[in-house]
This record gives sequence, C-alpha cells and structure tokens, in this order.
Amino acid sequence: MDRLVRADWFGPLLVTLVAVIGMAAFSPSFLSPLNVQVLLLALCINGLIAFSQMIIIAIGQMNLSVGAIGGLAAISFAGLMEVWGVPAPLAAILAICIGLIGGVLNGFFIAWTGISAFVITLASLSIFKGINLGITRAQPFYGVPESVKAFGNTTFLGPLPWLLIPCAIVFVATWYLLNRLSLGRQILAVGGNEHASALSGISVPRTVIAAHAISGVLAALAGIALVARLQIGQPTIGDDWLILSFAAPVIGGAVLSGGHVSVTATLLGVAIVAIITQALVLFHIDPFLVQVVLGGLILWAVGVNRWREVRVQRSLKRS
Amino acid sequence: MSIDSHSATPTPASPSGGRVSGNPRFYLTNEFGLICLIVVFGLIFALLAKNFFSPFNLFALGRVAAVNVMIGFAMMVVIVTGGLNLAVGAIGVCGAMFCGFLIQVLGLPWPLAILLGLALGAGLGFINGFAVVRSGLHSFIITLATMSIFFGAMVFLTRAESFRGLPPIFSAFGTARLFGFVSPLLIVAALVGVLLSIMYRYTVVGREMLAAGAKPEAAALSGVPVGRTIILCHMLSGSLAALTALLVMARNGAAIPSMAGQLGQDWLLPAFLGPVLGGTLLSGGRASPLGTFLGAILVTMLTNGLLLLRVGEFWVQACLGVLLLFAVLVDKARRSYLAHLKVA
Amino acid sequence: MAEVVFEARGVSKYFPGVKALENVSITLTKGSIHALLGENGAGKSTLIKIITGVYRPDGGELFLDGKNVRFSGARDAMGAGIGFVPQERNLIPRFSVGENIALEANSAHPLKRIDYATINAEARRWLKMLDLDIDPSTPVSQLSVAKMQLVEIAKALSQRSKVLLLDEPTASLSPHEADVLFGLLRRLRDDGASIIFVSHKLEEVVAICDTVTVLRDGNNACESRSMAGVGRQDLVRLMIGRSEQIPEWPERDSIGKPAVLELSGVSTAIGHRDVNLTVRDGEIVGLYGLVGAGRTELAKSIMGAFAITAGTMKLGGKPVRIASVSEAIHQHRLGYVSEDRKQEGLILMHSVLENAGIAVWRKLASRLGFLTDRTVRTKVLPFINKLEVKTPSLEQTVGNLSGGNQQKISVAKWLAAGTQLLIVDEPTVGIDIKSKAYLHQLLRDLSEAGTPILLITSDMPEMITLADRIVVMNDYRISGEITNTRDYGAMSEGIMQLIHADAA
Repeated sequence: MDRLVRADWFGPLLVTLVAVIGMAAFSPSFLSPLNVQVLLLALCINGLIAFSQMIIIAIGQMNLSVGAIGGLAAISFAGLMEVWGVPAPLAAILAICIGLIGGVLNGFFIAWTGISAFVITLASLSIFKGINLGITRAQPFYGVPESVKAFGNTTFLGPLPWLLIPCAIVFVATWYLLNRLSLGRQILAVGGNEHASALSGISVPRTVIAAHAISGVLAALAGIALVARLQIGQPTIGDDWLILSFAAPVIGGAVLSGGHVSVTATLLGVAIVAIITQALVLFHIDPFLVQVVLGGLILWAVGVNRWREVRVQRSLKRS
Repeated sequence: MSIDSHSATPTPASPSGGRVSGNPRFYLTNEFGLICLIVVFGLIFALLAKNFFSPFNLFALGRVAAVNVMIGFAMMVVIVTGGLNLAVGAIGVCGAMFCGFLIQVLGLPWPLAILLGLALGAGLGFINGFAVVRSGLHSFIITLATMSIFFGAMVFLTRAESFRGLPPIFSAFGTARLFGFVSPLLIVAALVGVLLSIMYRYTVVGREMLAAGAKPEAAALSGVPVGRTIILCHMLSGSLAALTALLVMARNGAAIPSMAGQLGQDWLLPAFLGPVLGGTLLSGGRASPLGTFLGAILVTMLTNGLLLLRVGEFWVQACLGVLLLFAVLVDKARRSYLAHLKVA
Repeated sequence: MAEVVFEARGVSKYFPGVKALENVSITLTKGSIHALLGENGAGKSTLIKIITGVYRPDGGELFLDGKNVRFSGARDAMGAGIGFVPQERNLIPRFSVGENIALEANSAHPLKRIDYATINAEARRWLKMLDLDIDPSTPVSQLSVAKMQLVEIAKALSQRSKVLLLDEPTASLSPHEADVLFGLLRRLRDDGASIIFVSHKLEEVVAICDTVTVLRDGNNACESRSMAGVGRQDLVRLMIGRSEQIPEWPERDSIGKPAVLELSGVSTAIGHRDVNLTVRDGEIVGLYGLVGAGRTELAKSIMGAFAITAGTMKLGGKPVRIASVSEAIHQHRLGYVSEDRKQEGLILMHSVLENAGIAVWRKLASRLGFLTDRTVRTKVLPFINKLEVKTPSLEQTVGNLSGGNQQKISVAKWLAAGTQLLIVDEPTVGIDIKSKAYLHQLLRDLSEAGTPILLITSDMPEMITLADRIVVMNDYRISGEITNTRDYGAMSEGIMQLIHADAA
C-alpha cells in the first residue's frame, strides 16, 4: 500500500477519477459521446506536446522551442500539401523530418557549446517561429485534403477518434523507450547524474542530441495532429504550448533537475488539464481563467513534488 | 580541474596575470565589443539605407530601444541572482493595465496611478520572490506558472479590453522629441541604467544582491540575508517591468492587454538578448547595466536596419534568434580566450 | 616477490607554470592494499587522474600486467581494468542498485533492450560476493551513504577490474561503517585483489595497508615501501619532510576570565541535546569529534542558522536569542570561518576587496545605504596587509589565489568586522604546511589579543597545537572536556577515550 501511494501515478490517478466522477455527477453532458471525443482528442494532442517536453525534462534540461518546432512542422505539413500537392503521408514524413532536424540542431548546439538549454532553445524558438511567419506571412494554409480532415475529426467504435490510434502507439513507444530501452535509460541516467553517466561509458553529447531529436519529432507529430484536427495550417499553432508542456509532466511528478519522469503520470497530468479545461467550458466560466488554473496547477504540483522529496529525505535520515 | 589543482599550490600571482583576470582590459570587455558592433552596423546601415540616420528614424529607433533596454533591465536584476523571471511581460502588462484602470475608471490623478502601477509590479514580483525563496524551487518553473496566472487574471478582470482614456500627457511624453531626434523614453531608460549602476556599485543592497547571486551559501554566512535579497530582486524586476509597460503605454497612448503578446511572451526574447549580449552571467553574481543597455541598442538597431532594408518583418525575428545564438558563441570564445591568457 | 599488477614508472605531469608531478613511480603487487599519501597539493590527485586516465602523463610510462598501456580517457582506463571509486558519489540516484551496477554494460547499444531479470541476477552475484544484503531492485537513493559506497565497489568489481582505486573512501562513513569497509577490503585482498587506498586518515592507513607510496611536492617521498614497522609519525615525516613541530607556547590559564559565549543545556532543531560549552575571553576552545558528530552544525546553530529549541545561550553574560545569521553577524558580532571555503566561505568569482569587506558593508554605509570602494578599502587594507595576503591587487578575483591566501582572506573578513567571538571550522584543510603554521600563529595571536576562538578541527595535531581546552563532541552531545597539556600521546589517548566511552 505504501508503495502504491508513493508511485507517481497514484496521486494524479486519484485526482483524475475524482474529477471525472464529480464532473459526471454535476453535468450529465460530460460523458456524452461528443464530449468524450473532445476530451480524447485533447488528450492525444496535448499528450504529444507534454511528452515532447518530458523527454527533455528527463535529461535535466528544458525546451522552450517545443511550440515553435511543432508550429513549423504544422505549417510545413499543410503548406506542402496545399502549395505542391504533396500526398498527405509524404508531407507528414517530411514534416516529421523538419521536427527531427530542429531537435537535432537544438541538441547539437547545447552539447557542443555547453551553454544552457534555456538560452539555446530561446534562440531557436525565435528562429523557428520567424521562419514559420516568414513562410506563411501570418496567413493560414487552407488547402488541407479531405482525407486529413476526416482523420482528425471522425471516430470509430462510438466516441473513439481515429487520431487516438497513432497517438496511443507513440505513447506506448515512449513508455518502452524510457523504461526498457537502453537509449531511454541513458537519457534518464544523464539527467540523474551526468558525471557518473559519462564515467559509465554513456556518451553525454550523443544522448543529449538524441533526446532533443525525439523531442523535436514528438513536437512535429503534435503539430501534424493539430492540423488534422483544426483542418487548417494555422501559423499560430504552438504559440500556447509552453505552459501546458511543463504542466503535465510536473503534475506527473517529473523532477525538473532531471533523471525522473513518469510516462503514465504525465498522461494523467494531461487528462487532468483536459478535464479542467472542459469543465470551465461546460460551466460557462471565462476561458481566460484556464490560464490561471494552469498556472495554479503547476505551482500546486511542484509544491507537492517538493514536499514529497523533503519527506523522503527525512525518512531516509531517520532510518 | 586543472585550475583547481594548481590554485591549491602557493603560486605567487604575478601582477600582469592579476590585471587580466580581475579587471579585463577595456578592449576585451563585452561593452567595448558592443560599441564596435554598434558603430560597424551603424555605418553599414547608413550606407545601405538612406533614411537610417534621418531624425525621424533615430527618434523611432530610440523609442523602441528604450523599451527593449528596460525589458532587459527587468530581466537582468533577477538574472543577477542566478534565476530568471519569465513573468516580466505578464507583470508589466498587469501594472500598465492597472494604471490605465485607475485613471480611466476610478479617475485617479495620473502621478498616483503611475505609482500604484509600479507598486502592483513590485507586489507581483514579491509573490514570485517569496514563492522562489520559500519553496527552494528554481525560479523558472515558479515564474512560468505565475506568468500564466497573472496574465490570465488580468485578461479575466479587464475582459481583454483596452483603456484608452488616458490624459494627453502620456501620448505627449510618448511622442515628444528632444533636439529633434531623442525620445524622452530613451532618457528614462538611460536614467534607470545609471541608477542601477549606482546601486550595484555604491550601495549595500546592490552589492548584497551580487553576493547572494554569486554564492548564496557564502553570502548567507557572511551576514547577507539571502532570502530577503532575492525577494527584493524580484520586486525590483516587477516594478521595472511595470515601468517598461508604462513606457509602452505612453508610446501607444493606451493600455492594451496584448501589448506584450500572448502571456507577455513577446518580451522574453528582448529580455534575454540585452543581458546576454551585455555579458551578464546567467549563473548570477555579475551584472552590467551598461552592457545590457548597449546590447538592447544593438538589437534594436539591427531590427530597425533590417526593416529599412525591406527584410520582411517576420524574418527579422529569425535574425534575432540567430543573433542570440551568435552572441553566446562569441561570449564563450571570448571567455576561453581570457582563460587562456590567465594560464599563460 | 609477488606478481606486479600495475606500475607507473617515472611519471611527470606539467601544467602551465606548475609542475604537478615529476618522475613519480608507484608499483602495485597482487593481493595487497597500497596506501597513496600526500598533503594537499603534493600531486596525489594528479597521480590519481593519470592512473584513471583523466590526464595523460607528459613523461613516464604505465604498465598493467607487465604491458605498457596508454589511456585515452577515463573510459579507456576503466575498460583496461582500473576500477575507480571516487570521493563524490557516482551513482544514478533514481536507478536501482542492479541497473547502476550494469550501467556500463547497458551503455553499448542505444537500441538494446534492458532485461531487468538478468541485470538483477548478475548484480546479486556481485553483491553476494561482497556479503551485501541488498535487494538489487532497490533504488540507490534509498540507501545509506555507506551502502552506496559498497555498491560502487561492487560496480567497479563487476567491470572485472584488475586494480581498485579508492579515493578517501571513509570520508563520510561512521567508524563502524568504516570497519565494515576495511573487513571487506581485507577479504578482497586475501582473494588476490590489488587495491590503492587514498586517505588522509593515517591511523586507517597504518591499520590496513601493506605498502605505501608518499608524494611530496610532486615527487616520491617514498615509493612502494612495506608498511612493516612504519608508524604514524614516520608517515607524517615522509609527508611533510620533517617531524611535526608543536610550537612551544606557554600554557594559559583563563579560568578566572569572563565568559564570552556560554551554552547551558542547549538543544537545537537539528538534534543537539543538552550541550554545555563555555568560551572565555582570550582562550581557544577546541571542539573535537568525528565526522558527523555535529560540530559544524553546533557552530551554525550558534550563528543562528538553526534554531535553538531549549536551554540558554549567553553572549558576554547576557542571554540572547538569535533569529538569523545576519543578526548574529551584525548585531552580536560573531564570525564563522567555514570548513568549506569554496562553497560557504568565499565568493570565488568576486574580488578580494568584496570578499574581505562583505561583513562590514552595512557598518560602513551611510544612512541611506551608500558606500564607496574607498571606504571599504581603508577599512580592509590594514588586515589584508597584516595577514600578508599575497595578491597583486585588491581587485583580483579570489578564485585565482592559492588556498592559503584564500583562507587568510576569510579570516581577514572577520578581523575587519571586529568580532567578539570567532568560530573557526577546519581552518587548514587544503593548505600547505607553511601557510598552516602561519595561520596557527595568527589564531594564537588573535586569542591573545582578545578575540576568543572556538576551534573545530579533525586534525588532532592541530587541535593539540592550538587549543587551551578540548571539548569532545559525539553524536550531537558533549561527551567530555580535557585541559590541553600539549602532550600528544596522552592527549590523543584521552580524546579517543572520550569518544569511545560514549559509544560503548
């Protein structure tokens, strides 16, 4: 039991369940198929965004350019299809490649210069966003093929959106990476103790670049999914990802100094954010308050994480 | 490591070695490099764009530069503690909107409204500082959260509407030209820079801020109240952010919720460009108001020049990103050169 | 003659302007524990870095199993069979014991699948070999420091090391934990392991080492000689080039003098119980104890960093309650020279002037809080000069000065502040012999001139040189007090008895 309580996903799971039950009790429309579909879509896309940041938190850094990379991939995806008529799968692959390149560049500059990830990704945020706006001149691409639109907005087996399938695969793959694959363990090892990792034969620069590459790919996937969902290639895609991308992993107990993240708990963190956002909409509360709630959630979560950490240290000292 | 092992042996430090590492020769400082760059780019733009040195362009440039300089200062005073304040934009907008509200809705006299706006900035800064000190968490995550909270609350309370009923003195101040090309906004920014320089050099508070930022443990055991000092830095940052937004308000003639972009994020890049170009260490303990000032001027000049050269507005943002990247790389090279000089 | 496993022959290493090692040799035989000794700055850490592949020697050769080897980096040395257990913890805290032991093996292929069952089985084998009863799936962060250290040894062994190099392994262990470690090392030796043991605790070296190499000023003071018949004093002579000299200072009697600091029945928030301690005018009171006994913590409690929860603390006869360090320094004129000069004592990136003046800024400032460098300089310079700090200028960055000079600055800071009581914590760690003697004289003079000193040191000779009275602390309590007669043998025996009497 004690072990259960100590698990990262336990608290968020409890909150999620209470929130779902509470919402369903107060508002019958909460569990309506349409609403479930909206919730699941938010879970998919925001999950990708959160994972993109989570990988970087795992290695003990931060990535401010998650949104900029995602946005650039999104408009590339839509633009390739509209302007050159590139078929959707190929366009998606090219957009993912753009995310990959963006991530590799971030990682390369951080590993090569040793300058803090904050500054490097702040610079690349500006560069990617500038390229985005330079290409689009702040105008959306409207020519998204019907097949893509359908993929982002139709469902199977009742309320389950088709988008759920690729996203679920990505989520499982991320879990496998961080828990069973050597690369994922290396990312966590570097985040936990960089010096010791290097002495144990892990190439720190290569691991940093790999983490940022994965982060870039995940951000690009989120961008592509959003284009399918919104049915247009908005240049503003990614502008509001930053807070969310930190909120979910932190709610999931991620340690910002690195070395510890939980895939399941992060996903639950995304769910909590989605439910609360949905609740505000259902109860006709000013959507601007979402920002306040998100900020409050982050503060609450880091506070709880900190408290748990202190408690563990204390119990260690006592024993 | 090698530095460690030989600093432990008693080497009589030579006078020449001391001058290089303690007080780098002026031509090796960041400030000198920035002045050179400003001159070089000034000449290039003067040659390529005819109206670059026209009084109106200089005036416009100065107005924008003033705001960039001030944003840089608002960030710099927190970077000194080894932290950062992502909420500069959000706090600034809150301060300016509050000031606009006091004037337009409550009809308060403008000097009082300005003071209260600055006080709100300091108050929000206090919340940041208090949370950082009390939780022991890095200011990144705290101010990321408060950025969202402050901005969301502001938009919620104002219903995202602007305050346009400002007394004419604001727009008069915003559009005034001294000697035909100097904006009073720039004078305000320069004055703040001078005050900050004096604070860091000649006051106990300023020195304690640097000490607390460089090595909090050592500062605390030398009698510096570190927690209080860090809170003070965040309060100063908050009020500087509010002052910046007031300058923007004077320039626009209105208090607009979107004046710093979504969540105030538009201020983040200039906030770091100035201090980083100016040689303020992100790890804390050192501040250069002059460098921040010059860095922001350089950034504004590049933006302005590129726009005059008809490089699309959107590409300029990408250029600024490249500039930041370039700046940190050059700084790194300069530091390793200085380290090399020290060893030799 | 036993089989030679590892040998460094005529190794030299130069840094710009400094020779760190010159023609140094060390020979390690199979089945032995070999002590590597030297004062700070003698080249010990440079030699360790050469053996572990961090540095490449500028001259000389390394031999492993008789073959000439060159290491291209720490990894390379490890791969060749040099197992290294460094002073700082070198494990991934959130990973399990098993995964930490297997980290090296798992780092080869990024896409390799991690098989926890195999990892744990393998780890269990090594843990069993060391007689460690730890479940390999326990996260390392839940282990005690001592156990982490043993896990690190298991990790080094699992890499099939031919040589095991332990750098100050007992620095953070309790005496009991250290005994366990020594038992393990002896067993490994008897099984044929070759161990290099780096420590500054000479008693330990005498107890468990078979051979010894001593470095002094970057040279061999002795090379791989047998420890048979070598005692502590012999080692000291080898390390400092002469026998320890205890200055002939007259004994002082301060019984009648007024008490400056008086603790009676003090308990603190971090665990001290019923502490009674008096420091009188003009004396040096030594506070001795093992690492972890709570001495530094008591000093910080006196300085107001931790709350005093019971009992009374009197300064100059008046009871005081100190709420913060800032209050202790500015209102009660207490000073504390930290044991950790680089983290807590000085701001290395700031100048000499700023470091020496930081505690007097508030006193020197005008009512509005303004002050100039000139006022600070006028105040601080006499003390910098008096302490003969070697610095090209007051603007010099403190980090560029030698350890001895840095320590003088941290003392000068408090002289300038004019403290009524100075607490000095491990004042001569990492400082060369000459500066050490100078600092001793300085502390003695200070106490003579009216600033009483509470001295914390783990260096027994230093304690016996300086203190007038020695108070022994054990497990956050005072276990006794003796007047210093400056007879080394009798005093160290007396102190040890107080420590162990309490433990028994």
